Amino acid sequence: MTIEVSELSKAFVTGRKARRKTVDAVRDISFSVAAGERVAFIGPNGAGKSTSIKMLTGILHPSAGTISVLGLVPWQQRRQLAMRIGTLFGQRSQLWFELTPRQSFRMLGAIFGLSDQHLVRRVDELGELLDAGHLWDTPVRSQSLGQRMRCELAACMLHEPEILFLDEPTIGLDLLGKQLFRDLIVRLNQQRNTTIFLTSHDVADIESVAERVIVINHGEVIYDDSVEAMRRSLFATKYVDVGLAHPAEAPSLVGVTIAQHSPTMLRLVVDTEAQSIGTVVNAVLSSLPVADLSIADPPLESVIASIYSTARTP
Amino acid sequence: MNLRILRTAFGTATRRALREPGSFFVATGFYVAVVAMVGTLWRVAAASHHGTLAGYTAVGLFWYIAASESATMAISLRLVEEIGDDIVSGAIAVEMLRPVSVVAVRIAAEFGRAVPKLISCILAGTAVSLVVVGPPRNVGAALLSAISLVLAILCNIAAQHAFAGIAFWIRDARSTWFLYQKFVFVLGGMLLPIQILPTALEQIARALPFTAMAYAPARLAAGFFEPELLLVQSAWLVVLIGVAAATFQAGERRLQVVGG
Repeated sequence: MTIEVSELSKAFVTGRKARRKTVDAVRDISFSVAAGERVAFIGPNGAGKSTSIKMLTGILHPSAGTISVLGLVPWQQRRQLAMRIGTLFGQRSQLWFELTPRQSFRMLGAIFGLSDQHLVRRVDELGELLDAGHLWDTPVRSQSLGQRMRCELAACMLHEPEILFLDEPTIGLDLLGKQLFRDLIVRLNQQRNTTIFLTSHDVADIESVAERVIVINHGEVIYDDSVEAMRRSLFATKYVDVGLAHPAEAPSLVGVTIAQHSPTMLRLVVDTEAQSIGTVVNAVLSSLPVADLSIADPPLESVIASIYSTARTP
Repeated sequence: MNLRILRTAFGTATRRALREPGSFFVATGFYVAVVAMVGTLWRVAAASHHGTLAGYTAVGLFWYIAASESATMAISLRLVEEIGDDIVSGAIAVEMLRPVSVVAVRIAAEFGRAVPKLISCILAGTAVSLVVVGPPRNVGAALLSAISLVLAILCNIAAQHAFAGIAFWIRDARSTWFLYQKFVFVLGGMLLPIQILPTALEQIARALPFTAMAYAPARLAAGFFEPELLLVQSAWLVVLIGVAAATFQAGERRLQVVGG
């Protein structure tokens, strides 16, 4: 396994003297990640995602538990590990704003021990891979956020890391920029077999990039499965959207709730374990003036929200 | 830690500093104004004491101020605060993700950032001093002062890292910056030669590292040929780098960064 986490906990001490209290940011989490996997590590604000990433990369020392990343103990072998991983924090830059990316790469190349020839070759390669070679000589502060994020990605890929830790990498990007960035991450994974460990609040990041989702809330892992399984297992629900030719009463059926009802539109939420979709569709067609009808899965966003809220309820 | 990394950190920071010509010229202008003002005050003070004050001539005192101000103004005036803020905000985490010593790269980079300012301060200070009081009393000592300025700046940067490292524990470096600045101003001999202080305070100042950051190059520039001051500075530099490295190493284990 590339990453192995076992019973990991992190507690922060806040306040002074009498007001001192301990906050459990991460509680007893365990999971493992295989080489080449694309994993989304998600959760609401304050769930413990960033704290976990910082422990995985060796910045923070855990309060309890064990971590092995590429066979190394991150907080004890942080510098050796740094040679083999890449990290991108969407809210923190590793490029120098006054300089061009190429000048920053020279500094990072020296830090990661790349020879001058190797560095030139690598920068050219990344320029091609990320379609960003034309940005290398423009000062970072003159670049748009989307352009800068491509340069940030190049910076953390310079030393050919085996794992990429991406913490909110698309934050602040526009729709097009986000899509381009997601495509780049998937391409890196497919061409280099780079393991991707991603945190994001953007469901589209998870859908486009990840194969597997680990959900953390209140410092605990509450879900760990493939994106597809997440859809299937949690989708005992279907949406039936009915366009109405003229206003009509909705039928009353067991396992069916009305989510929306207007003179021209009706949305039914069907619990497929209590009622079959066929029965609902037949009832709708026989009792309503149907102008249009469609059946859909709920968006992944609703599923994730339902996981979060389920975990919040004791 | 290989030299290539430190050299590159130094060069990168120098390039960054040169990309900000505006602030560079403002800082030099400010330096010239301070030297002219404080230097003139000390000249007047010496003149009212029959031309010498604690062994310093009026000419020597002007050169003293030109050097002591160069030593302190070439580096960021609020470096302790800047480092402390990086620790408290968690910005330092990005640097901890690199396979090198955070403190070594930071010292090299800060030195790179200071060198263009130092050169401009030396040139401007020399020009102002030549115009106002004429050449230095001892040219050999003045040349040694240039080397001493480099050591002074390195000592100051290392000490500021050691001081700022306290932010790993108390999560605030602003109070330490205030204290540090006053130590350099008075006990470090930036505003006045330490010989002017009461004897007990002078002895305390001599035992502390702050004299390596302003007094040593200033004393040489004032015309006192005392090469042993360079040895004292070198010794303090080793100690201060060691303390800064130890503070960061211990502090990194205590880093508390919550959120992204």
